[in-house]
Amino acid sequence: MDRLEQELKAALGRKDPPAGFAERVLREAARAPARGTALPQRNRPWPRWLAAAAAVVLCAGAGLGYRQYRGEVARQQVMQAFRIASVKVNHIQTHVREVER
Amino acid sequence: MKTWRTLTLALGLAAALSAQQFKFNLDHLAAKASDTVDLSLNGATLQFAAKFLDSKDPDESKVKKLIAGLDGIYIRTFEFKRAGEWTEADLEVIRKQLRSPEWSRIVGVKSSQDGETDEIYMRNENKKITGLAILAAEPKEITVVHIAGPVDLDSLAELGGHLGIPKVEIGKQK
Amino acid sequence: MTQLESVQQTGLDFGELVRRHQSMVFSVCRHFLHDRDQAEDVAQEVFLGLHRNLESIQSEAHAGHWLRKVAVQRSIDAGRRRQRRPQVALADVAEPAAETAVRDPMLGETLRRLIATLPETPRMVMVLRYQEDLDPAEIGQVMEMPVATVKSHLQRSLALLREKLARRGVREERWIG
Repeated sequence: MDRLEQELKAALGRKDPPAGFAERVLREAARAPARGTALPQRNRPWPRWLAAAAAVVLCAGAGLGYRQYRGEVARQQVMQAFRIASVKVNHIQTHVREVER
Repeated sequence: MKTWRTLTLALGLAAALSAQQFKFNLDHLAAKASDTVDLSLNGATLQFAAKFLDSKDPDESKVKKLIAGLDGIYIRTFEFKRAGEWTEADLEVIRKQLRSPEWSRIVGVKSSQDGETDEIYMRNENKKITGLAILAAEPKEITVVHIAGPVDLDSLAELGGHLGIPKVEIGKQK
Repeated sequence: MTQLESVQQTGLDFGELVRRHQSMVFSVCRHFLHDRDQAEDVAQEVFLGLHRNLESIQSEAHAGHWLRKVAVQRSIDAGRRRQRRPQVALADVAEPAAETAVRDPMLGETLRRLIATLPETPRMVMVLRYQEDLDPAEIGQVMEMPVATVKSHLQRSLALLREKLARRGVREERWIG
């Protein structure tokens, strides 16, 4: 195993979940043992939409302006579009290689 | 005032649609999908976004160059909870449009084992590339990617290593 | 503490399974999704799935294999749903101020962020290889893909990481440890 692989092992070492994880799982399982596959959301102090809205307000308050905000949204959408396209191209190339073997 | 707004919206919509070189015609799948992605970025949006891409970042810099001459990027993805929600007929609606003389299928892979179909098409006009279409279908997911404009094959290949895009060897489908 | 019934025929205790495997499950989710909150949600979903299917689990070892496989599947599913939101951008990865001969303390975080930018399949292959220390054949079984494909993903991902690290001025020969 070369140096990069050793560093990867160190970087990707197992991490313990947040404190109380096991208790929360056991509590959920005891509460609804025969439930369907709906994912029970953990109680977070701040819903994500609220955090996002707060971020928008802060950005506006910091003087970035609406144009800057729109530009950031557009930038993220473009990068997202190329990520999706790149995932698909990568996947197709792997598929082609598997077939060619 | 209302008429003016309606006309502006119609012109805007027409401008947005005109960059698309084929129609997806997949809206009927949205009702059955558990999740969807719908990205429609016309030329004006791409040029606006380009101003906010960081030239010092290697990935954003490459993307910035790539989108410079593009007319639009359109992506639809549908995810389904179970297999069987889409049919070959849904794909054929798109393939039919990509059988026009300007389009050539350069990659086509089908796996009966995992029910996966992957196709890449290029659009040629006057010996120049003017579009790219990707059709990727799995039992529980369909993705259609359409990039309209002078997609430079060398630049696309250079994206290999960036954003995880491999160096695709583009060639005619045998 | 909440007590749950054991499965009589195998003597499996759900609570014990959670405690024994929570790090493995959470880490697979965490390293793949690079999002602690989402990883915890997905990890919880994995264990609740185990609870619903506990009667079909035959042994401790079976439980471990089952959990790993389901953690992989659920993480990939969650990652696909998240494609609609911007992921960690490489621009967020801190550039080293200068090349030095001292071991880069940020290297671990840099590697984790770079792993997060890989497409989903090679990303999960890398997590299973370097977090779980699975060999390519074992990874192939978990992800239901040919061994050759697994090896190809490993090779290309390592090459990609080396290239990206080199562009950031992190050179292999300077690592000291």
